[in-house]
Amino acid sequence: MAGNLTAVRPGWKERALLSLAGTAIFFGLWQILAISALVSKFVLPSPAEVVIAGLTMTAEPFAGATIQGHVLASLGRWAMGFGLAAGIGIPLGLAMGYWRLLDAIVSPIFEGYRYIAPLAWVPFAALWFGTGIGGPVMVIFTGAFAPCVINAYRGAHLVEAHLTEAARTLGAGGMRVMAEVLLPGALPSVVSGLRVSAGLGWQSLIGAELIVVSSGIGYVLVQGQSNLAPEIVIAAMLAVGLTGLLIDVALRFVESRIRQRWGQTA
Amino acid sequence: MSDIVFEGISKVFPRGGSAFTALSDVSLVIPDKQFLAIVGPSGCGKTTLLRMAAGLEIPSSGIVRVGGRPVNGPGADRAVVFQQFALFPWKTVRENIAFGLKCKGMPRAKRNKVALNYLELMGMAGTEDNYPHQLSGGMQQRVAIARSYAIEPEVLLMDEPFGSLDAQTRTLMQEELIRISRVNPRTVLFITHGVEEAVYLADRVVVLARSPGRIREIIDIRPIREGEGWDKLASEEVMEMPGFGHLRARIWRLLRREIQTSSLDLPKIN
Amino acid sequence: MKPRTLIGLATILVLLLGWYLATDLAGLIDRQRFPSPGDIMAAGSQIINRGYAGGTLLTQALYSLRLVVLGFLVAGVTGVPLGLMMGLSRRFEALVNPAFLLVRPIPPLAWIPLAIVWLGLADSAKILVIWFAAFVPAVINSYTGIRNVDQTLVAAARVHGASAGRVFWDVLIPGSIPMIFTGLRLSLQASWTTLVAAELVGAVFGLGKVLSTAYRDIYPAMIAVGMITVAVLGAVTTKILAIVERRVIRWRET
Repeated sequence: MAGNLTAVRPGWKERALLSLAGTAIFFGLWQILAISALVSKFVLPSPAEVVIAGLTMTAEPFAGATIQGHVLASLGRWAMGFGLAAGIGIPLGLAMGYWRLLDAIVSPIFEGYRYIAPLAWVPFAALWFGTGIGGPVMVIFTGAFAPCVINAYRGAHLVEAHLTEAARTLGAGGMRVMAEVLLPGALPSVVSGLRVSAGLGWQSLIGAELIVVSSGIGYVLVQGQSNLAPEIVIAAMLAVGLTGLLIDVALRFVESRIRQRWGQTA
Repeated sequence: MSDIVFEGISKVFPRGGSAFTALSDVSLVIPDKQFLAIVGPSGCGKTTLLRMAAGLEIPSSGIVRVGGRPVNGPGADRAVVFQQFALFPWKTVRENIAFGLKCKGMPRAKRNKVALNYLELMGMAGTEDNYPHQLSGGMQQRVAIARSYAIEPEVLLMDEPFGSLDAQTRTLMQEELIRISRVNPRTVLFITHGVEEAVYLADRVVVLARSPGRIREIIDIRPIREGEGWDKLASEEVMEMPGFGHLRARIWRLLRREIQTSSLDLPKIN
Repeated sequence: MKPRTLIGLATILVLLLGWYLATDLAGLIDRQRFPSPGDIMAAGSQIINRGYAGGTLLTQALYSLRLVVLGFLVAGVTGVPLGLMMGLSRRFEALVNPAFLLVRPIPPLAWIPLAIVWLGLADSAKILVIWFAAFVPAVINSYTGIRNVDQTLVAAARVHGASAGRVFWDVLIPGSIPMIFTGLRLSLQASWTTLVAAELVGAVFGLGKVLSTAYRDIYPAMIAVGMITVAVLGAVTTKILAIVERRVIRWRET
């Protein structure tokens, strides 16, 4: 741990107090800034106003649906894009880890694609698949794809060679080796790749929704902005952050369970 | 029939600029159901030979045939027992043993039964739901052997299978191997560093020289073994027999000459 | 040449050839939706020579590049010290953490509408969002970097009578540099992603503007030109960062 220069390490009580103080300072400054005449109401709403706006949106529809409705619409798109990315990316990564020829063929294409920011695909995605579901799903896919492949690839390399050899000497064909040796062996790496991929997918989703869409939490952000209603914008931002956090926590949990179940072995 | 035939086997590994000849023109026949041990100093190519028979390595020249058919890849007819056990850590003991049967398409109920049978044969009934990391080294190796036996291979290839076990477990495992081989004899190629182990277990012992790898001598154990009736004795009694000591000394003398031609590590005398 | 490189090159050639055949020659694919290599080259020369969406490729690219570099530098200059301080002092970390934790899960792109409310479509709005996107990885990685410095080295320095300041500059900072650079690399990546998004949402100029105008004009070849430019600039800036990193970390074999 630490590059701690103080001789005495602060205990948890002191740190809890400081955190409380920090929170209070943060919200306090925010509140003061909002109330004062320094900044117009149209720019910085007070924390209270944000909370009210958020709660209102859970009951009354805004821009077509309640805030939960929007979040669910977004989650639906995200789940589709993420599912596609994992469903294609993980087998691809494993296969590339196992068959060197495939690796040599796919790698250059993959490296090239990696350099393109996922959101740069939005125009093409919208042009090819429309702006309802198809376009955003493709953008999410582009964002979520790379970590799935990379982590599956690395995970496959971590699986010790004699395990795949043992499987082959017991009569396993290529598909079985991938499904019953590479996949379980690579699983810790794959799952942590899934976590990164989920986060990137969620971010790409929000980006796509800002640009081309007519429902979802990203759309709420845009509508709030064009209505010059920053309290709605901030409330929606917090909803986005919260949802992303929940997804991450859920996947962390899955990851730790898997690590537990299979002991220390890779 | 499942004999193993090595015909004029050579293996060259490219090492940077130069090449390293692991094996040079090795020819060897292991008849059906014979237990053959290969001893030799480190780096003499014995593991490479085994891997070629397994189909995990391709000879630079020469052909390996098993049961008359040339080997061009791994398969369930030639089971391998690895030194590091190579048990699938995410599968239970039962699932590990049943793996080869699953590859063959055996339905679940049947293969579980077969797996349990072999587990009992190994004296480990009751551990079927454990995971490998919960077992000791000796138990893991027994599961590995059971896994290979379960597919009823024609040929069993064992690469220093008891190398990572402590001396006491090793002795017990050797006795066990003899017991199962009498029940279920099959062609065995057994690689080891240990001279005593080779003499105790094998029908014939091949001494391999190093750099390049080639056969130094082949010694037939059977006349002395049958003459002194080893099969009826416990391992410590066998090792006290004069014939045993004589064979051991003879092989060790051959090995010593191989080792002392360069200064790598010594084989264990267990 | 290694076989792997050969196969890679061969694949790319095959793909390019297939693409050319399917589009320019056989017209198999609808060129309203998927540009051919010929279309792309034509669009490229158009924007390079005559300009598109308000400027030539050079001016648009430099404009975007300027925003990225500014946002990135500001994020580095603010984020790295913050991360280091949080790593050094648990008290400071406890104080600042709540605010950081609240703000961190919010994807940087989600800040775009707010930035537009605050600053309109001006440059500052984009720099703000880029700053925010690049800030977080810089902080986190600097924090991890300084926390992970081998304590034995610190002890060795102390035992030789080093003051706190000297420990900081001669042990902790050099020890943290690898992770700081990892953070900077992530920051740079985030900067580009955010810039493209911000310019797509609302811009008057820049590569994002090129992309969104091309989309509205249904001009896929120009979209492709925009994307390629973004990718190239991204690769170039990443390479420059890598060179800087290598000069700074001469003592370490990567």
